[in-house]
Amino acid sequence: MELSTTGDKKRYKVGIPRALHYYRYYPFWKKLLEELDVEIVLSPPTNKKIVEEGVTHGFGELCIPVKIYYGQVLKLVENNPDLDFLFVPRYVSEVPESYFCPKFLSLPDVIKILPEVPKILNFEVNVKEFPISTSAIELGKQLGKGQTASVDAYKKAQKYFDEYHNFLRDGGSVNHALRLVHRNLPFKLPKKQTKGDLRFLLLGHAYNIFDSFINLDFIKKLHEQGVEVLTIENLPEYLFKKPVIVNPRGGILRNYWRHEEEIMQAIRFFLTKGKNEIDGVIFLISFACGPDSLISELIMRDMKVVGLPFLEITMDEHSGEAGMMTRIESFVEMVRRKRKKLGLEPRWKSKIKFYEGT
Amino acid sequence: MLISFPNMGPNWVAFKTLFTALDLDVVVPDPTNREAIKIGVKYSPEFVCFPFKATLGDFVNAIEKGADTLVMAIDCGPCRFGFYASVQERILRDMGYKNIRIIPLDQADLLEFHWVKTLQEVSGRKDLFIYSKYIKAVIYFLKKAKLLNDIQTAEGLFRAYERNLGDTTRVVNELLEKLDKANTLVELRNFKKVIKNDFNSIDIEKSRTPLRVGLSGEIHISLEPYVNLDLRRKLGEMGVEVHQSLSLYDWVVHKFHLNYHRKWLEHLAKPYVPMDIGGECVWVLGEYIDKAKAGFDGFIHSYPFTCMPEVTARTIITNKLKKMYDLPIIYFSFDEQSGQEGFRTRLEAFYDLMEARREREIKSTPEFMANGQKKIYPQYGGEFYNEIAQLIQAE
Repeated sequence: MELSTTGDKKRYKVGIPRALHYYRYYPFWKKLLEELDVEIVLSPPTNKKIVEEGVTHGFGELCIPVKIYYGQVLKLVENNPDLDFLFVPRYVSEVPESYFCPKFLSLPDVIKILPEVPKILNFEVNVKEFPISTSAIELGKQLGKGQTASVDAYKKAQKYFDEYHNFLRDGGSVNHALRLVHRNLPFKLPKKQTKGDLRFLLLGHAYNIFDSFINLDFIKKLHEQGVEVLTIENLPEYLFKKPVIVNPRGGILRNYWRHEEEIMQAIRFFLTKGKNEIDGVIFLISFACGPDSLISELIMRDMKVVGLPFLEITMDEHSGEAGMMTRIESFVEMVRRKRKKLGLEPRWKSKIKFYEGT
Repeated sequence: MLISFPNMGPNWVAFKTLFTALDLDVVVPDPTNREAIKIGVKYSPEFVCFPFKATLGDFVNAIEKGADTLVMAIDCGPCRFGFYASVQERILRDMGYKNIRIIPLDQADLLEFHWVKTLQEVSGRKDLFIYSKYIKAVIYFLKKAKLLNDIQTAEGLFRAYERNLGDTTRVVNELLEKLDKANTLVELRNFKKVIKNDFNSIDIEKSRTPLRVGLSGEIHISLEPYVNLDLRRKLGEMGVEVHQSLSLYDWVVHKFHLNYHRKWLEHLAKPYVPMDIGGECVWVLGEYIDKAKAGFDGFIHSYPFTCMPEVTARTIITNKLKKMYDLPIIYFSFDEQSGQEGFRTRLEAFYDLMEARREREIKSTPEFMANGQKKIYPQYGGEFYNEIAQLIQAE
């Protein structure tokens, strides 16, 4: 690396595309990379051009979040030709006996063959084979940092990430929290809280729910309808301790996808003890999402048994605003009418109860 | 108790023997047909991959034929296949088949011997005396699977040379019947000769120079002829040698960690995908490189619509490998909407492309010109393949 006048090493410039795991792990990455003395460049929020770019480079059968990832990477490289590295982590399994979707497993492999992409900063999370601290050491090595520095950075990042999660569990929204992280501000809940007479659980992958371009600002649309939105990130930790058994009566199968496991665990609570805490469930699915196609079927069958209203919305790059609006409005109206008929009180009077020790 | 299992091309022969060797009654579902697919599509989740729908249809068919115990292979990630058995069980229950048992056959790592548990569950016995039968069943299963693999190899070669369309298909069907009836070790040991004899009786035109095409992709799609619109037969009848190393035997041996061909393919694919990400992704990449190096004329990649690992393989081939190795490739993604005619048109166009490419190749290479304007293909394939190739080349 070239040396600056003070004799210090030049800080590496690392690009992070604002897509896929960004919505889940960004605080962790940011702290980790900053502790390793790296300058982070983030790509702009998704817009129409990025989606178009991604669609041309990925092909039809990929799911839309991956196409956006392509677009974000290309945009990032185009805007910052002087990037030293591109941070494309390989998430294989975060918890033993679990996997991510195969598309995450091979993400660096499909990105590194795109034109004009800088060197990829390898960060493989695979706790089946080695702990995350090892991955952090490997990451540090590529940035010219020693073992101790890397492990320290990892510890700090993990602590910060735990804080971030606690903030979300106190009721912060992910988009708000990410904004705070990006601006290096302390975690603080916004003064204005949205209140509504209905409370929905919004299920789905973080990259579908919080990318407001691709889901056409879904959360805002719900707020406008007077609906409080709960996402998986807002739920307390103990719900996610016990694994879900997909078919308790037959051959016992444990769900092996990490994201889907969380979705199933959340829904398990609301199907049993938390049945009266929410008014309905909306599941946002991107077209051609493999795991969700099976999970949504299981959830739908469970919902039918319990009698909770359930709406499944499939979206892709052709989603239309008007159609989406109609579906949301009719669903909200239907739930509201049901509540009125049963003579129930609006939701803002009751706070959600999570029973400890399930 | 009547046992059944889903279809996967001719592999019902091998699966049947696994259970009949344990003195159990087996009912084989009808070959996958339109009715089965219709039922599968009606009750499956909308966006699930196609083998799920096809196998669900097979199950319903088997149940209607009287089966009450279904055996389904499972895996533990990362692709959707691991969920098949449990979700299908749930769907069958909701359809009203309350007394159906689905017994999972764990094939994640056959050296962990989870499959013994399946055999115990199926046979209902756990005493030591049954273990000799397990061994017999597994040996028969492996032998028949190997012979099926051999039939597949011979079929791919012979069909390109046959004079009367349909001869090879007839021989293959007869061989399957014979293999199904062969239930002693002596018969199985001699069966290789039967295969060679039967194929040798086909009237072939030895002077032809067919194109060579490699075939790979998702295993169920590649092996089940109804689902892949009889891709292998169509190619063969166009006059194309079909080379497909993918078979049930290939897969089972791989799961016993003894498949060195697949290890070689993994080695080839390592720079592009360093790990098994489910499906056949790694091996498809390996096959593509391997076939390109062996001087093939084309490659066909077939997979179910939106299959996650295969889509990754396709992305990597399109963006990188195709430019490096310059082997023509065509992708077929199958689902219940596949139409015969569009498929045939694409296949014919691909055939023309390969032929034009080979002609150009011959004209630009002096060695091929000296060989009487014929392309020389390097030595390729396993032991049995070479025996079959000698049958064709022999005067």
